[in-house]
Amino acid sequence: MSRFLIRTFLWVLAASGLFAQQAPPTEVVLTATSSAKLVLAMTAPKVSGVSEATVGAEFTAVLKRDLDESGVIAVLQERLPADAAPVKAWKEAGAQWLLSVRLGRATSGDLQLEASAVDTGAEKGVFTRTYKADKIVPLRHIAHSLADDLVGRLTGDRGVASSRIVFVRGLGKGVKEIFQVDRDGAGLLQLTRHGALTLAPTVAQDGRLAYVTYKGGAPEVWGQRRVNGDHEKLYPTANAGGMISMLSSPAWSPDGKRLAFVQGDRRGNADIMVLDLATGRARRLTDSTGINTEPSWNPNGTQLAFTSDREGGPQVFLMQDDGSNLRKLTNEGLYNASPAWSPNGAMVAYVSRFEGKFDLFIYKLGEGKAYQITTGVSTSESPAWSPDERRLVFTSNRFGSSQLFTTDLSGRQILRMSEMGDCQSPRWIRGR
Amino acid sequence: MRYGIYIVPAAIVLTLGSLACKPPKTAEQLKAETQAAFNEGYQAFKDGKARATNPYVNDKENPHKAQGWNDGWDKAAAEKAAADKAAADAKAAADAKAAADRAAAEKAAAEEAARKAAEAEKAAAFKRAAAAALKTIHFDYDKADIKSNDRAVLQGIADFLKAYPVAKVEIEGHCDERGTNEYNLALGNKRAAGALAYLKTLGVDEARFTTISYGKERPLCTEAKESCWSLNRRGEFKLK
Repeated sequence: MSRFLIRTFLWVLAASGLFAQQAPPTEVVLTATSSAKLVLAMTAPKVSGVSEATVGAEFTAVLKRDLDESGVIAVLQERLPADAAPVKAWKEAGAQWLLSVRLGRATSGDLQLEASAVDTGAEKGVFTRTYKADKIVPLRHIAHSLADDLVGRLTGDRGVASSRIVFVRGLGKGVKEIFQVDRDGAGLLQLTRHGALTLAPTVAQDGRLAYVTYKGGAPEVWGQRRVNGDHEKLYPTANAGGMISMLSSPAWSPDGKRLAFVQGDRRGNADIMVLDLATGRARRLTDSTGINTEPSWNPNGTQLAFTSDREGGPQVFLMQDDGSNLRKLTNEGLYNASPAWSPNGAMVAYVSRFEGKFDLFIYKLGEGKAYQITTGVSTSESPAWSPDERRLVFTSNRFGSSQLFTTDLSGRQILRMSEMGDCQSPRWIRGR
Repeated sequence: MRYGIYIVPAAIVLTLGSLACKPPKTAEQLKAETQAAFNEGYQAFKDGKARATNPYVNDKENPHKAQGWNDGWDKAAAEKAAADKAAADAKAAADAKAAADRAAAEKAAAEEAARKAAEAEKAAAFKRAAAAALKTIHFDYDKADIKSNDRAVLQGIADFLKAYPVAKVEIEGHCDERGTNEYNLALGNKRAAGALAYLKTLGVDEARFTTISYGKERPLCTEAKESCWSLNRRGEFKLK
């Protein structure tokens, strides 16, 4: 019963609370305070010099999906007026914005896209922009940019259609490597080639990667000290000393200068450490018998959420970045773990064991309450926030092997990102 | 002219006598001829001619030549016999040495093989003992405590390490698929540490062990049921 109430509450939350939370943008045409998304209609693209079929598959379909997943724009699909109909007819059909797109070749031969949107109520232009792309940029990427700009025009916060997911993928025989895929499931790229168990990627704001690899037989933290730099061992440093039996869960601080990680000792304890990249010094933040793991920074780098079994089973705790001011976040359930602090700092996503499987929850710090996001018989794990805080990426075994999914914060719109199996530990990062 | 009857016969006699009686050879001539015949005989042997082919054998006036030729042939024959004998002796010596060397090498090889066999047997015995001792132990869900029915396994591992003082062992902690990747890595570490602590109580120096956690990253079985999960919640012991 309480689950049902939570779900119901969540609907209301997703419908109203979430959008109201957005900081007031400087230039917003339509403030999305109502429960409805902005309804956008799109006339058929005017195409010259490009195959209509290509445009349909690589542009129109991609743009519609991007806008649909943005969470703030709904694309009008039914009872569309004729393309040449006056703006008024589109307004009557329900469209608030009308998007027109002209796609062709510039004199240089490069792709050129002119997009403009009209507010059907005021009958005035709200958006106009020209995109150019050379031959190596797929049409898909222009669609992502346009979707992100439209969301930015609407909310003041650029969308995340151009973003990417970095994750771990099993390649068999004990080998796992770090991969990257575009948010729409295209453009798969292998980022590491250690030929070993390689886990737990974390990506700094400037794009630097860090992770744990077992390539030397024992786990080590590897990563990039410089943007686009080589991957090198970051920890243990030469002066680390002691018998380290486990390293896991690296997490870049928001400023990218520190790396939180977990170090296990031979007595079975695991503690949160913070490595200062400039000095090479690592500081222990927790000092308890038992497990402390899965550090996640708050957006300004002053606090960390983490998982600890200090009171028995795993629960989510918060502390300052010096280890002080410890407090327990989760109270319900016997197994709460994998905290992920939201980009704006007001929420912590985590997983909780429920009826023998794991579901995603969101703890709203302002309310001091947790809301269940996923339900069902399958397990959902490893939540990570989208940069715009509107969705979570996670792994689920609902179709057998562990695959990548995204969900909106209501849990109603769950989308499979790709059909690749054996995926884990996704991180969601902005596109370059 | 009265004396002519004496002079003419005397002249005839003198002339004939001088014709019939050549002057005797000097010692130098004889020596030179003997040497030449010697050389011919020497060469004749080298050319493979028999001793009976001595061309001077019927030269009754020059027996020294026949003698010289024979001496030359005999000398060459003697030299060859000596050379043959020396070669034969050398070969015999070499053969004898080779045989001795072979025998020594065979002996060394046999010793080496025996040593290797002994080593291999020792290594095999070590491996057998390791395989017999290094059995997998299991854990309850989210627990790192040693179960009572795994104590015998750990005792066996302790005995093995005491029997083989050079052996080193890596303790691997593993988990089932339930729970997060990172928490399970910490739990696997706790399980490896639990096994290490128990082995310490059995009197094994902890420096003999390394511990490592694979969390839920290396399952033995991937089905979502308890029979599979219980297999995966394990501690493995590997020779390091």
